[in-house]
Amino acid sequence: MALRVTTQRRVFKGVGNGALVLMLLWTLIPFYWMIATSLKHDKEIYGYEATLIPERPTLANYATVFRETPYLLFLRNSLAIAVGSTILSMVIACLAAYAIARLSFPGRALLARGLVFTYLVPTSLLFIPMFAMMSALRLTDSLHGLIIAYLGFDVPFCTWLLMGYFKSVPFDLEEAARVDGCNRVGALVRIVLPMSLPALVVVTFFSFTHAWNEFLYAHVFTSTTNARTVTTGLVNFMSQDVFFWGPLMASTVMSALPPVLMFLVFQRWVVKGLTLGGVKG
Amino acid sequence: MRGGPILRRVTQDRILGYLFLFPALLVIVGLVAYPFASAIVMTFQAKTAGAPGRFIGLDNYRELFGSEQFLRAVINTVAYTGIGVGLKFVFGLSMALVLNQERFCNNLFRSILLIPWAIPTVMSALNWRWIFDDASGLINNVLVRLNLIDETISWLSDPHLAMLSVIIVVVWQGTPFFTMSFLAGLQAIPKELYEAAEIDGASVLQQFSYITLPRLQPIFITAVMLSAILTSAGIQFVLILTNGGPSDRTMIFPVLAYHLALGGAQRLGMGAAVSLIFFPLLVVFIVFLTRRMLREKGE
Repeated sequence: MALRVTTQRRVFKGVGNGALVLMLLWTLIPFYWMIATSLKHDKEIYGYEATLIPERPTLANYATVFRETPYLLFLRNSLAIAVGSTILSMVIACLAAYAIARLSFPGRALLARGLVFTYLVPTSLLFIPMFAMMSALRLTDSLHGLIIAYLGFDVPFCTWLLMGYFKSVPFDLEEAARVDGCNRVGALVRIVLPMSLPALVVVTFFSFTHAWNEFLYAHVFTSTTNARTVTTGLVNFMSQDVFFWGPLMASTVMSALPPVLMFLVFQRWVVKGLTLGGVKG
Repeated sequence: MRGGPILRRVTQDRILGYLFLFPALLVIVGLVAYPFASAIVMTFQAKTAGAPGRFIGLDNYRELFGSEQFLRAVINTVAYTGIGVGLKFVFGLSMALVLNQERFCNNLFRSILLIPWAIPTVMSALNWRWIFDDASGLINNVLVRLNLIDETISWLSDPHLAMLSVIIVVVWQGTPFFTMSFLAGLQAIPKELYEAAEIDGASVLQQFSYITLPRLQPIFITAVMLSAILTSAGIQFVLILTNGGPSDRTMIFPVLAYHLALGGAQRLGMGAAVSLIFFPLLVVFIVFLTRRMLREKGE
C-alpha cells in the first residue's frame, strides 16, 4: 500500500535535512582549513605537533605577507585592472546593447548572434594567439595589456545581459522624453540606464570579479613582478622553492574576501543574472 | 517628399546604430575573431613568440596524432569533463531540491552553499592543494589521527588518485552553478501543478518524474552544455594542482596546449593545433547554446 503523500513528504524532508547538513560540511570544511591554517604558527602547521584547531591563534602570517612579499603591489595591480576593465566594458557594452535593443539597422540580428557566440568561446582556445599578438604589440608585462585583453570576455557578456534588460524598459517613456527634446544619447542616459540599475549592478559585479579572478591571461602575459596580479602572484609564491603555507593561506583568505563579500551583498541580482547568462560552470 | 521626418529618423538610427556598435565590434574583431583566425594560420606553422612563423603544412597535426601524450589528453579530457559535469549535475540537482523544501533559515543555507562559486578559482585551487598535501594536509592529517592509514597518501602525485583528486575539486567548485540554475527553475514551476497532482493521488516520486523533471529539462540542457564547455576548457585547477602530471595522468587539452606553446620549446603552432582540434567539439555546444540563449531573449 502506498504511503500517504504527507507521510512521504515528511520522509523526504528528513532525507533533505540530512543531505543539507552533509553539503554544508562539504562546502565549509575547506574554508575552515584555509582560515585555520592562516591563523597558525608553523609548529601547528607541519610535523608531529600539527593541529586541527589552532591552539594559539596568531596574525603573524598576515604580517609576514605584508612585510616580506609584494602582496600590496599585487593588490594594487588587480584593483587597477578590475576597475579599468569594468569601466571600459560598461561604456562599450551600454552603447552596443542600446543599439541592438532599440535601433534598427541591417545586420542587427547577426550581431546579436555574434555576441553570444564570442562570449561562449573559452579563453583557453585563444590564449596562444593572444600571447603572440600581445608580444607583437609590446603589451605584455603591462596593466594596460590585461585591461584590453579582458574586454574580449567582458564586452560580449555585458552587452548580452544589458540587451535583454534594455528591451524591457517601456518604449513609451523613451518616446515621451524624445518628444520633449531629448536625443538618443539623452534618452539612453536619462531614461534607459536609470531604469536598468539592477542589470548594471550585475554587469559591474561580473566584469569586476572576472578581472579579479582571471588567471590564464594574467599568467601568460606577465613575466615580471611589476604587472603581476593577485592570482598569478599567489601561484608564483607556491611554485617558489620554500613552501610557506601559513602566509600563503593568509593571502588566499584576503584575496578571496572581496569577491565573496561582493557576491553576498549583490546575491539576489547576481543569481538572476547568472541564470540568464550563465558563467563559470 | 525627400527626407521626410520618418525617413530621416530611419537613416539617423542606422548611423547612430553603427556608431554605438563600433567599439564593441572593434573588441570582438580584435580580441576574438582576429586571434582565432591567426590561431588557425599558426597551426600550419613552426612558430615561436616574436618571430615570424615558417609554413610546414600539416606537420603539427601529423605529429600530434602520432603522439601518445595527445591521445592521453583526449581520453583524459573526455573522462574529466564527463565525470566532473555528471557529478556536478547530480549534486546540484539534489541541493536545489533540498533548498526548495520549506525550512528555517533556508536563505542563509543557500548563501553558504553558493560561496564556492564566488571564490576565485585560483584561491580554491591553492586551498585544495594544501588540503591534499602529502605531509601535513587536512585529509592525511585526519586519516592518520583516526589510525586509518599508516603512511600518508599522495593524493596529487599518485597516478591512480591524481585524476580523482582533481575531479573532487572541480565538483566542489562547480556544484553551486548547477544548484543556482536548477533552484531558479524549480521556483518557476507553478504550485498549482503539484496541488492538482496531489488531488489525483500522485505520489511524491510520481510528481517528481511527471512534473519536475520535464519542466526542468530545458535548464538541464543549457546548464550541462555550458558546464561542459567551461570544464573541458578550464585550465586553472589542473595547472595548479598537478600541472598535468603524474606522467600525464591529468593532462587535459588546454594544459597540453599550454605546455607545448609556453613550456621550454615555445611551439606556438603545436599548442594552437591542440586547441583547434578540440574546437569543433566545443563549437557544436556553442552554436546550440547560442540559439537557445537567443530564443530565450526573443531575438
